[in-house]
Amino acid sequence: MIKLYDCNASFGVADVPPPRYAATPDELIAEMDFCNVDEALVTCAAQWCDSPLVGNELVVKEAQGHVRLHPAWMLLPPQTGEQGSSVDALLSDMARAGVRALWALPARNKYLLNATTFGSVFEEFVEHDIPLFLPLTEAVPGLAGHAATHLGWQLVDTLLGQFPRLTLVATEQSVWGQDRYFRPLIERYAKLYLDISTYEQGRGLEDFCRRYGADRLLFGTHYPEVPMGGPVLNLLNADIPNEHKELIGSGNLTRLLREVRL
Amino acid sequence: MSNPSQLWQQYLAHGKAEAVPVISAHAHYGPYMGIYFPGRGEADSMLKMMDRAGMVRAVCAPHAALIEPSRGHALLAEVISTHPNRFAGYWCINPNYPSALEASLEEFARSPGFVGLKLLSDYHRQPITSPNYAPALEYADEHELPVLMHTWGHSPFDGPALWSEVAARHPRATFLMGHSGYGEWDLALDVARRHDNVYLELCAAYHVNGIIERMVRQVGSQKVLYGEDLPWFDPQYAIGCVLCARISDEDRHNILHRNAERLFGWG
Repeated sequence: MIKLYDCNASFGVADVPPPRYAATPDELIAEMDFCNVDEALVTCAAQWCDSPLVGNELVVKEAQGHVRLHPAWMLLPPQTGEQGSSVDALLSDMARAGVRALWALPARNKYLLNATTFGSVFEEFVEHDIPLFLPLTEAVPGLAGHAATHLGWQLVDTLLGQFPRLTLVATEQSVWGQDRYFRPLIERYAKLYLDISTYEQGRGLEDFCRRYGADRLLFGTHYPEVPMGGPVLNLLNADIPNEHKELIGSGNLTRLLREVRL
Repeated sequence: MSNPSQLWQQYLAHGKAEAVPVISAHAHYGPYMGIYFPGRGEADSMLKMMDRAGMVRAVCAPHAALIEPSRGHALLAEVISTHPNRFAGYWCINPNYPSALEASLEEFARSPGFVGLKLLSDYHRQPITSPNYAPALEYADEHELPVLMHTWGHSPFDGPALWSEVAARHPRATFLMGHSGYGEWDLALDVARRHDNVYLELCAAYHVNGIIERMVRQVGSQKVLYGEDLPWFDPQYAIGCVLCARISDEDRHNILHRNAERLFGWG
């Protein structure tokens, strides 16, 4: 059986919930069991909808004791001092909390995701191999749909142009055909990864893997927005070798998190 | 607890389930401007996806026909003649060329394998209530045809708010609300519940977590049809969403094939 390690799942009570969601870690684990998902890198709704500071504490507290759930944090600009007085302090806090991945929500949290804001931070992230997750729909405030993802991919290009050794995971790409956006970026930036939770493209995995191999794709579900069963069957029944399914299903994410040095 | 559905277990084991001859009630055909399709989105590539997912038939609106109907229909007619049991067609109506409509509908009547009409108001920027659509809707009513409509929440062209009027005025036509009025769920489900001749179609809607359960609970699985915009979206993804919804396997059979078999007369 292919092991599935979800890189993009969330629990908790959101301001605008989808019709079905997991209010607690236990409910998320029940959903994972239902859909054959083994582990998950998780955020909680408070990190997205309330405050990243409150949410970051909450996700660690609530995930504690759930060995299949691994908390991730939201990143804020160092200049406001909300996440400690220095990058080292942030990294120490992450180590204490068992956090090995960060998310950036520049639109919601209102900052510029660039070298001006994060220059010294991202240099440290490169040194410590810390993966940064960026939802493309979060790149620009007030935009949704095609405009948001268009500018989201531009942001990925700009950011990796400035920090080509940064490990960046692009998440929440639009379902409406994104290969023309991301293929040039995949070819240029060796540490760009794609969360495939919303990569519904017909024969997309097969075509991508044939050209680029399976090293750059991470299994994700984008739960609770998306029902887990879709991404699960999409990967498990893709017309690609089992070795590729293993890498995408869990191998790549496991490696990325293992390589983090805190 | 793992999903106890026999169908889910079979899809996990074999990528398909013998007892589920899936029918896509919402498919397209051929290349399109806004997307890269492996295999150009043409027959061989589509059949590969269909075979792997246990899909026996796809009802297609060729992309080209949504712009220039005669050119697009000719493309699909050729595919249907080669694979008459795998592909069927929707006859696409472009309301921006009203003078061509009568001849187009006459051609539809002579074209084997085309089983209904397809309307795309949002893209054509004509409200479904426009007089330019009237001849096509009256034709569908007179001939008791299925009509696949693109419907999107809050659209001034094809939002669910417009559908009660259209459905009531054409009671013998069967309206498939493509994408189920995406995003304006309460109203879309209400329209489908109140009108016997309005069905929900799942394309893109399936990836909204919990919406399939709501549809089944509020409207009934006999009013929900499976579709995934093939070749846009992989059937495995869409079917996975149906199989993991908290509904019964009987509901899943209704959605994935039985309703389409009944509507299109393929039972």
